[in-house]
Amino acid sequence: MNQENWKIILAYLSDQENEEKRKLLNEWLATDPLHQQQLEQATWLWKQTATIPANDEWKDSFQVIQKTVQNQGRKKTVKIWPMVAIASAVAAAIIGGLFIFLYKNAIPAQPALITWISKTAKPGKVLNIHLPDSSEIWLNSGSSISYPENLKHAALRTVKLTGEAFFKVKRDPAHPFVVKSLNLQTRVLGTSFNIRAWQGHDAEVTVLTGKVAVSQDSAGRQSAAIHLLPNQKAVYQPNSATLSLENIDEATLATSWTTGKMEFDQLPLKEVFETIERKYAVQLITTGNYRNCRLTAHFKNVSLTEVLKTLKLTLGIHYTINNNIIYIKGGTCN
Amino acid sequence: MGDKITAGLTSDADHHLDEKAFEDLYRRVYPTLKKYAVYLVKNPEEAQLILNDVFITVWKNKVQLVNEKAYLFRAVKNAAINYHKLSKRNFLRFDEEQDLEIPDKNVDPALNYQNKDQNRLLYTLIDQLPERRRLVFYLYRIDGFSYKEIAALLDISVRTVEDHLAKGFLFLQERVIRRSEEFR
Repeated sequence: MNQENWKIILAYLSDQENEEKRKLLNEWLATDPLHQQQLEQATWLWKQTATIPANDEWKDSFQVIQKTVQNQGRKKTVKIWPMVAIASAVAAAIIGGLFIFLYKNAIPAQPALITWISKTAKPGKVLNIHLPDSSEIWLNSGSSISYPENLKHAALRTVKLTGEAFFKVKRDPAHPFVVKSLNLQTRVLGTSFNIRAWQGHDAEVTVLTGKVAVSQDSAGRQSAAIHLLPNQKAVYQPNSATLSLENIDEATLATSWTTGKMEFDQLPLKEVFETIERKYAVQLITTGNYRNCRLTAHFKNVSLTEVLKTLKLTLGIHYTINNNIIYIKGGTCN
Repeated sequence: MGDKITAGLTSDADHHLDEKAFEDLYRRVYPTLKKYAVYLVKNPEEAQLILNDVFITVWKNKVQLVNEKAYLFRAVKNAAINYHKLSKRNFLRFDEEQDLEIPDKNVDPALNYQNKDQNRLLYTLIDQLPERRRLVFYLYRIDGFSYKEIAALLDISVRTVEDHLAKGFLFLQERVIRRSEEFR
């Protein structure tokens, strides 16, 4: 393979939605059957180089910076000593309080009182939300989101998500849009993407349009970001605490829930059951152990009984319905 | 649907840099930003001093970083220009031919490599690329800058950026084929 081939492949890999680049790639692929194999190798290299290996080289130099800024921090608090000297004659307890008060006020970053607005989509419902900055959010059943009242004027448009949501973010390069969800922080300028972040499962960020940066967020500390383009997704596995990039065929599948569909692609059965619980506002009680079971199925807006019948056929399970509680037992993959 | 309004404190990180976010920012940008500074001033110690100054200024002036990467790379570039003005040297005239140096093929990191961590191995190879090519690779793949942004940062043409990237990947690919057993 030569340099010109690489240019065609790189142009395609970095902008896979671009028809023209895809066409160029396909033309190149058609000229030689070996090219398909070369493309696979190139794609592998592309993925493997998405992040740099962990490295502590930064630490030593950072200590120097840290010392300098800490010294400057101390200079600020020195100013309050004359006041403390006067007060010391009065009462030691007051000084303590005063010192803490003044010190706190001398610290550069003063937290401002911000009103947060929360919205929740109850089980069985999907909620469409328009944010003050003209961004649009579809909130999946059983999910909730909160955003500051002053979102439109904030330097960083920050939104907190629990569960799953599809975002169409209004483009505003001067004010990045940041979504904080379980374990992940997603940062964009203006794009559309889906975040799936249910407690206890792999979290996924899938990009439909534009460019998205995803980083791992543990206790407010972010890892290096990985950059996603359309038809790519970031997968975070909480058990191994790893964040990886995957190419996918059809990103729109990730948002099919916004139109009432359920798309399962080799999804663990536990997660399938949880999805059904949220979508149909029911409770599923299982007696068997379905840990090793996965399901691939597509449901268009169908009734709950239709879904259960399909599960019965494909997995051989038995179910009984009692009001909003469904009991499930048996099954071939048990 | 339950709309409920709750009052609370915003975390400092959202609007100003707190110490944790500051450290985190440094950790994230260090790998590429340091290489960029070394590339501009051709001296690792001077490069680190520039990095220190930029970060101390960010902290002291409570600079609100909207596009943190663009800001920091620009700030390092400006500081490097000032440094060269002071030392009265003209540094922005690089010869394109400079990158034609061939990486030392005798140093093969894979030979004494016990850990088959492929990502680590690939980055050991990437670190063997000529300086400017390696920097283009990092700016593009790790920091997500576009060809155009990289061209502006390095004062080279978009075409040259594209060449560097293709040559960089080609080099990786040839090395991987040669040592394919390491990557199986």
